[in-house]
Amino acid sequence: MPGPYPGVVVRVHSESCLDTERDQANMESVRRMVSAGMKSLTGAGSDHDAWTRFIAPHDVVGIKVNCSGAPRICSAPEVVGAIVENLTAIGVPANQIYIYERFANQLQTVPYAKFVPPGVTIWAAEESRGTILGYDPHTYVECNFFGEEDTRSNLVRLVADKLTKIINVPNAKEHQAAGVTGCLKNIAYGDFSNVARSHQYEKTNTYSFIGTLASVEPVRSRVVLNIMDALRGVWHQGPFNRDPRFRFYPKQLLIGTDPVAIDHTELDLIEAKRKAEGAVSLWDRSRSHLGDNRDPNMNHFIREPGHIEYASRLGLGIYDSSKIHLREIEL
Amino acid sequence: MLLVAAALPLLFWDAGPSTAPALRDAHIERIAVPAAQEAAWKGVAGIVVQAADVGRLRKLAVPSVEYRPDQASASRAPWIQSNGWEFVRAPGAHFYYDAPGKAAGLAAAEAFSYGADALIHTDAAGLQYFAEMLAFLRGIERLDLPPLADIAFQDDGGDTAGEVLNLMLRNNLLVRAAAAPDPKAKLNVRLGSAQFPLETAQDPAAMAHLVRSALGDDHRSIRIYGTQVVLARVTAGGGRLRLALLNYDGARRKVDGLHVRALGRFPKHTGAVAGGAAQIDDYSLDDQATEFTLPELKTFAVIDLSR
Repeated sequence: MPGPYPGVVVRVHSESCLDTERDQANMESVRRMVSAGMKSLTGAGSDHDAWTRFIAPHDVVGIKVNCSGAPRICSAPEVVGAIVENLTAIGVPANQIYIYERFANQLQTVPYAKFVPPGVTIWAAEESRGTILGYDPHTYVECNFFGEEDTRSNLVRLVADKLTKIINVPNAKEHQAAGVTGCLKNIAYGDFSNVARSHQYEKTNTYSFIGTLASVEPVRSRVVLNIMDALRGVWHQGPFNRDPRFRFYPKQLLIGTDPVAIDHTELDLIEAKRKAEGAVSLWDRSRSHLGDNRDPNMNHFIREPGHIEYASRLGLGIYDSSKIHLREIEL
Repeated sequence: MLLVAAALPLLFWDAGPSTAPALRDAHIERIAVPAAQEAAWKGVAGIVVQAADVGRLRKLAVPSVEYRPDQASASRAPWIQSNGWEFVRAPGAHFYYDAPGKAAGLAAAEAFSYGADALIHTDAAGLQYFAEMLAFLRGIERLDLPPLADIAFQDDGGDTAGEVLNLMLRNNLLVRAAAAPDPKAKLNVRLGSAQFPLETAQDPAAMAHLVRSALGDDHRSIRIYGTQVVLARVTAGGGRLRLALLNYDGARRKVDGLHVRALGRFPKHTGAVAGGAAQIDDYSLDDQATEFTLPELKTFAVIDLSR
């Protein structure tokens, strides 16, 4: 990261990609969105040429999904299925493809297996919640936020030991502590243990911790592509989705190699939605807005959307709006 | 310096001789009984009996974890009921647990860790757990090693000092009670000093954090990662380091993996894990420390590291 296309974000919108009444994605529309986005990003004339810019048949590929709002809001199995189709089409054997997430209890609520061929591994770092066995004891970030005894956040073993490439598939969601959760947070908090300690209290440490984790090797160099699933979104009470009032349907994919540029685009998307709903800005830091977040003007934390700009200062991508090249595709 | 004798805890049994078969089935060969029952037990085959007046012993808490989700707290760490501070404060005292059910095994392990002279009373359900732990403890090699302490704590014997001692041990800060400053200690702590003011000690958890900060995590002889419910008792000497690791939540659930960092380079290791395989993973040494992962801890493990 930020890869070969810093500052480039391809936004693909398709009105037909999602039946919001049935909350059902349209697989064929999703395929077309992925295809159009990948070809636009790379300038390639075919899907094969587009995908082989990033992945070779010998690669062991991890697809980092996000299931923290599952089953309603998660990396849609249709999107993940379309990605796997492209990987196998360029010659990556199914048994070299891993769909992974930290928590098994969340991952198991999403029917990924129905959308991918046999042989693809669906893997969670924590089969039982809290176990450290799915993490590499030798790769960690150590810091003490609030006097917690366990000061290490360790990298997922699968990433440390096996994967050669990672495709990051986050969602577009407001996050009560981080402001939004997108590419950066999915690859940071989704690849390391013991991260909830950064946001135990109203004032959190998400501002710097997200970018710090995302910049750790080998994470930084193995994430070669970000495909943000914004078919559905959450504009409040994220990253979960317990209250349907705060769900919305952008019907988009945001594709690129630059996680900062994509997350800035996502931030604008969710900020605009909140504004349209009459909710306070994601940038609001007023303590008078701390409290019961069933009210969209209230929150449990002081949000830190500045974590995206901070990540840009770590070299992870382009934050400056004037330097972000947003390519819009309407299907 | 006090050596940890690693005495085996003794079952305090207040049921009558008719329960002798249950004790024999559990391979319990020695018990303590109330004085009033001593005569009745004399002559019961296969069981050695001694009288005990538990009213004269220091009563301990049941080793356990209380999560207290309904109570506001300065910390989200679970509340561990540990008796380590009692043993550290009064190493020569005689102790008594009333530990029903699975807690009987934890009590036996805790007392063993500190080399404490302890009687453990349990109920019929706890007999099995006590007996299983006793069998495990019998198999542990006796090592008369002194406790390893990073902190010399000048204990005035008061309630505040006791709670600070408790909080330090519950945070895996290795501490010993001292009558005077110890120039060899990494850190000396005296409540009421400029560095450790009494006002701070009114919140013992805050004081424990202050002590931790003053010592510095890099100077701690032991660190445990991946769990908040395992406490370590460490003894060391002659190029050997013994870690007694107790899962205080062991009556409810096992710990699926914990990672240990011990200061010092110890290329060799052996281990014994109660109720499980003595498997140690990810064993590594860096310039200053030895690290390893224990993939499962049901209740208690003893890990010996050596040069």
